[in-house]
Amino acid sequence: MNKLLTIVLTIAFVVLSNDVFAQQGTIRGTVIEEATGDPVYGVTILVEGTSTGTTTDFDGKFNLSLTEGDYNLKISYVSYTPVTIEEVGVGSGEVTIIDNIRLQKTVEEMEEVVVTAEMMNISEAAMITTKRKSANMLDGISAERFRTIGDSDAAQALKRVTGVSVEGGKYVYVRGLGDRYTKTMMNSVDIPSLDPDKNSLQIDIFPTNLIDNMIITKTAVAEMPADFTGGIVNIETKDFPDEPIIDVSLSTSYNPSMHFNSGFLGYNGSNTDMLGFDGGTRELPSGANVEGIPTPISGNSEQEVNNFVNSFNSNLGPNELTNPMDLSAGVSLGNQFSVGSDNAFGYILSGTYKRSTSHYDNYRYGEYQRQSNPSEYDLIYATKQNGVVSESNVLLGGLAGLAFKTPNSKYKLTGMHLQNGEDRATSFFIDNSVDAPGQSGYLADSYNLEYSERGVTNFLLNGVHYFDNAMWEVNWRISPTFSTMNDPDIRRTAYTRSPNGPRFNAGAGGFPSRIWRYMDEMNVVNRVDITRDYQLFGSGAKFKTGGSYVYKERDYEILKYDMQFFGAIPTLTGDPSEILQPENIYPNGSIYYQSGNPDPNPNAYSSNVSNTSFYLSNEFNLFQNLKTSLGLRVENYVQRHTGRDALFAQGDPSGNNLDNEKVLDSFDFFPSANLTYFLTDRQNLRVSYSRTIARPSFKELSFAQILDPVSDRIFNGGLFSIDQWEGNLTETRIHNFDTRWEMFFNQGQLLSLSLFYKSFDDPIELVRIQAQQTSSEFQPRNVGDGEVFGAEFEFRKNLGFITESLQYFGLSSNVTIVESIIDMTEQEFRSRKNFEKEGQNVNDKRQMAGQAPYIINAGISYDNPEIGLDGGLFYNVQGETLTVVGGSLFPDVYTEPFHNLRLNMNKSLGSNASVNLSVSNLLNETRAEYYQGYRADKQIFSKYKPHTTVSLGFKYSF
Amino acid sequence: MNFKSILTFTSSVLLALTMLVSCSDDDNGSSDANPPSLTAPESSNNPNLIIGDSADLTFNVNVPGGYASSSVDATNGTASITSEPSVGSTSGNVVVNFTANTPGAATITLTVTDEDGMSDDATTAVSISEEANQVLLNSNITTDTTWETGKVYILGGRIAVEAGATLTIQPGVIVKGEAGTGANASALLVARDATLNANGTADAPIIFTSVADEITPEQVAAGDFTSPNLDPDINGLWGGVIVLGNAPISAAESPAQIEGIPTSDTNGLYGGDDEGDSSGTITYISIRHGGSNIGEGNEINGLTLGGVGTGTTINNVEVVANQDDGIEWFGGNVSIDGIVIWNSGDDGLDTDQDWIGTASNFIIVTPQGGSAFELDGPEGELNRGCHNFVNGVVYAGGEIANLVDFDDNTNAGLTDVYFYGFSDTYMATEEFSPVASFGGDGNCESANWEYTLAEGGAPVDEIFTGVPTEALTEVAANGNSVGPDASNFGWTWAAQSDALESIGL
Repeated sequence: MNKLLTIVLTIAFVVLSNDVFAQQGTIRGTVIEEATGDPVYGVTILVEGTSTGTTTDFDGKFNLSLTEGDYNLKISYVSYTPVTIEEVGVGSGEVTIIDNIRLQKTVEEMEEVVVTAEMMNISEAAMITTKRKSANMLDGISAERFRTIGDSDAAQALKRVTGVSVEGGKYVYVRGLGDRYTKTMMNSVDIPSLDPDKNSLQIDIFPTNLIDNMIITKTAVAEMPADFTGGIVNIETKDFPDEPIIDVSLSTSYNPSMHFNSGFLGYNGSNTDMLGFDGGTRELPSGANVEGIPTPISGNSEQEVNNFVNSFNSNLGPNELTNPMDLSAGVSLGNQFSVGSDNAFGYILSGTYKRSTSHYDNYRYGEYQRQSNPSEYDLIYATKQNGVVSESNVLLGGLAGLAFKTPNSKYKLTGMHLQNGEDRATSFFIDNSVDAPGQSGYLADSYNLEYSERGVTNFLLNGVHYFDNAMWEVNWRISPTFSTMNDPDIRRTAYTRSPNGPRFNAGAGGFPSRIWRYMDEMNVVNRVDITRDYQLFGSGAKFKTGGSYVYKERDYEILKYDMQFFGAIPTLTGDPSEILQPENIYPNGSIYYQSGNPDPNPNAYSSNVSNTSFYLSNEFNLFQNLKTSLGLRVENYVQRHTGRDALFAQGDPSGNNLDNEKVLDSFDFFPSANLTYFLTDRQNLRVSYSRTIARPSFKELSFAQILDPVSDRIFNGGLFSIDQWEGNLTETRIHNFDTRWEMFFNQGQLLSLSLFYKSFDDPIELVRIQAQQTSSEFQPRNVGDGEVFGAEFEFRKNLGFITESLQYFGLSSNVTIVESIIDMTEQEFRSRKNFEKEGQNVNDKRQMAGQAPYIINAGISYDNPEIGLDGGLFYNVQGETLTVVGGSLFPDVYTEPFHNLRLNMNKSLGSNASVNLSVSNLLNETRAEYYQGYRADKQIFSKYKPHTTVSLGFKYSF
Repeated sequence: MNFKSILTFTSSVLLALTMLVSCSDDDNGSSDANPPSLTAPESSNNPNLIIGDSADLTFNVNVPGGYASSSVDATNGTASITSEPSVGSTSGNVVVNFTANTPGAATITLTVTDEDGMSDDATTAVSISEEANQVLLNSNITTDTTWETGKVYILGGRIAVEAGATLTIQPGVIVKGEAGTGANASALLVARDATLNANGTADAPIIFTSVADEITPEQVAAGDFTSPNLDPDINGLWGGVIVLGNAPISAAESPAQIEGIPTSDTNGLYGGDDEGDSSGTITYISIRHGGSNIGEGNEINGLTLGGVGTGTTINNVEVVANQDDGIEWFGGNVSIDGIVIWNSGDDGLDTDQDWIGTASNFIIVTPQGGSAFELDGPEGELNRGCHNFVNGVVYAGGEIANLVDFDDNTNAGLTDVYFYGFSDTYMATEEFSPVASFGGDGNCESANWEYTLAEGGAPVDEIFTGVPTEALTEVAANGNSVGPDASNFGWTWAAQSDALESIGL
């Protein structure tokens, strides 16, 4: 109780007044062991010429309060060579930070090491040390570097990391492997995707000012979950600040071809759209979520039908507005201070708000087909669309964290909420060809209004305890996450053109429809990790053990309503605002809504997973320079599903119905071995092997039949037996082999080369069902075995070696090249062979879907601390990637390389303020996905121009 | 120290594994014992009940562990166990008496528990109707079934006649589909190797309509085939009739999955290599108010014929107010004599995938947005010749798109057809050509088209675009020498409501 009072009073003290300690300043620092990168416990820090001193805690951190002035610090520890740091300045009421004080084992008679404080601060050294000394292969990016590059969200920032590509500005893929093989974690616990169709999280919702660092683990270690193959992306949010933070930032972006555009499409949303969620205007009308909604034939009165139709929002089309520039603002507060003599308390508060708009003038979509005649090479179109897409995006985020440290323990509690609302309005001209098989041919003008709201709330309670002189470490975490993704009231209205003017035709452009899509997910992670430091084969070793229990639960539902006409369709002019007028609504007119939702709904499911895991690993030096990490992880994974097919939903018990039934129950061993040979102190050779897994998603292991309202594709659960597929969808097991040579130089310079190989047993792909030619149907299936061969190359070089005047310039690049091979299933091979063209020789192997053949990142940077100017020119591209697997009538779709060139400059104005200028897509490139066929011209699957954007930001630190 | 550490490491690995292996079994129960198993009566063999009716349902049980007890749960009614095996016996029957109290699909679930406390359950379904002459269907038809004159059969969803089964529909039967779109759409689907014998007569046609239609068997028996409450332009209230067979189709894949049915329902497959395949006989049927959609551009036609062979007899078909096409052929060889399509929401007659047959004596009245003919050819390698439309009448009306929509590969010919009833604003525009790609692939003859233009309307070359003059003959209104004799269609709603007479037929 006394302690608590002390804490409260101290907070009040520190927050209210900085002047109390006017004559006092603070030095904070971290001491690590050169050979391992680990923090060192119990190191003595002495201020030369005084009796003032302290020792490091289990994090290797120390804290010294001194009066204004310059000091020399002497750092010493038994059997390590002492270090003296000279000229450490302490200012009144300020914190001086000296990170990365390195201690080396005394091998022979060694003189004391003397350095100056200025030399200690090397940009990004911490991340490089982590990378260099880690038992497994990882890459990462830290908060310091976000600023240099000027990226505002995590997705942009991650693009800079070796082997990372970002799809659609949202989804992170590692080493070009698709979504299925990447995992996203936050603070080392699983966090679910906000898209029902994806495995990985939309990472663009993380603003960089909430992030401390992001680490991409590329080879498995036993303490990591086994369900990744390309990599795990772990986002570490900000924690204990070393120095007081009060930052305010403001920025704005301008895209000349997007902003202040009078043709921007929008509509009256709700009052809370500016906060990232719908305030109720898009809500499902009450009484709509039942099977028997009021219709002219339901037995309800005419007035009830009329009232029901009127309870839907009558706005069916976009208006033209003028959109403003993008704006974002952020604020971060944080501090730490001592409580009593041995305890420390820290807090962080961070908030961010961003509002942006995008406008695309000539957005194009296409559906193309092969011709059946083997001598006709050209692809012919089934449907072409071109039109305008306007999007408004609001992102609101907040993070609050408390941390408390005692001599033997550290506790952390954080809460985070991210809210994102995206409004999309489109206007398209549709040209459906009469000549393509299965198509009836029509012209239509279509208008869509879409809204997507996503929210994630995460809590983390973490405790770390040290025993026995920090030889034992126990680290536990409890982290619940609640997420929602709703698409309320997606409205689609298409006017089919006819010789008699615009009209609705169900067999052509379709009748107006509206859809609600809901997804809720809860995810609880409990995790304990225990580490024991000990001596093995004459050097330090680490024994780790631990386990976790993860429970996930998801509810998903789609509700659909079609406009119908009880008699003649009203006379139309082509303006969607004319439709839901009183005179057109039944019984005055013919309009009513019909439900597409049986009860129970086959377009809905709920699933849960419980994953219990346990691991053991040992990290030791087998020989003096060979660091070995051997581990074994076991996971017991049980997935249950509740859902049914349409046959069951209509009342036939011979239909398929699952009522919280086990659809996956697997117990697997995941061995991993990581060997690092320290060729020299600065040069490593690494070899690793691991076994990992990719499991089918919730909806894949189901009898769900889901019509996706946006893509108009039908998804069939993997448990259905269709064609030769027997409906027994299983996990994919992967063997991973990696080797890397790496060399580190001073000032963060490095050179590395990696080779990797992965083999996939029973990989899952979304397969187009060939028997269905009039609509697009897909099913997840295990296809033939796959293999991936890859190489990665990375360097970072300072140009000071050429001439002194170039010392502020740096050159960096990383390149990933991947060859993937997958054995086609018999069915796919046959369907391709049937459409073989003259002169073509169809092979029964192809590249894996979603696997990029190469990824290149390159940049030239400038960093001159003397004038406070830094910045750079950065380039990023991903090779042509197979995106949609074809077969039979349907050609393959490839994503075109997008050459992204970005310029960024930061200038500090005094010690408190800085400005940032960045220009993205300098080459004014186009985003495109194309159909490709043998000896055929490429045809558009989708295409749009993002144009060049200029952003200007301002940041002030108090 | 070293040796000890390695030993600790190894032994803890083993310990942990043992723990996890034993954990993973814990919710399976003891797997070596034999749990009970039971078989529910086949739903399609269960009687249809009217409210207040009772029925005995017999579940066959197998209890290796010794029978202990049973419990029963039911929806839409009440159920009780009237007879069960003696305690300890290893097999026998449990008889459940079910009394219906709510119309709809009732499910009855029996749970059997053995002496070890292990249990199993099985479910059967019973359909409950409100009235004595109504039969509600919720399950596929797997055994030979007859629908009787004087009754109304309600399609509670997509009801398939599965391979091997024969559905016989007697004259005068009324089949009504429940309302809904998407997964909710009701339809009658005749799978490959199943048979539909729907033999109506001119005096007692078989009527397929919506549950909203108040037409009764008594009314049909009295010779009145019109709807007492629904107008002939109301569409999309239910799905339609789909007949599938084993005759050849020309598509990228054969068998293929029929439009409107998701591939997870394998009853939707059609196509094979038997030109003479029989799906049964279908005569004097009238399909009304259907065509609800399952996805954008994916509606159900009034009558869909996929790979139906020449062994099938089809004549005298009327389709009224279907939201999609009137009749659509996907390959196959079947011919139809006697067709009336009235107020189709999309096209009147639609062909795809190398249909080889003849449609004769047809009347198409006022398509509501699509074309009178939407004709396509082979979609695969197979190209077997021509399909033909012979002796018909097309009354265009004010909402029609194309008159005849050929493609460059269409293998179709139209001869002896009379076109009239144009609005005075109907003409070719930049986007529309009333007759597109006349003649198709050029291998099939189209000839002897008669026409009457609208007064003050567009001239002949702006309507019959691309049609050679020798194929065209202008006649006075209803002065046609080709087309069927309307008196043969007295059994249709179109005739009984004077819709044919009002256009001079």
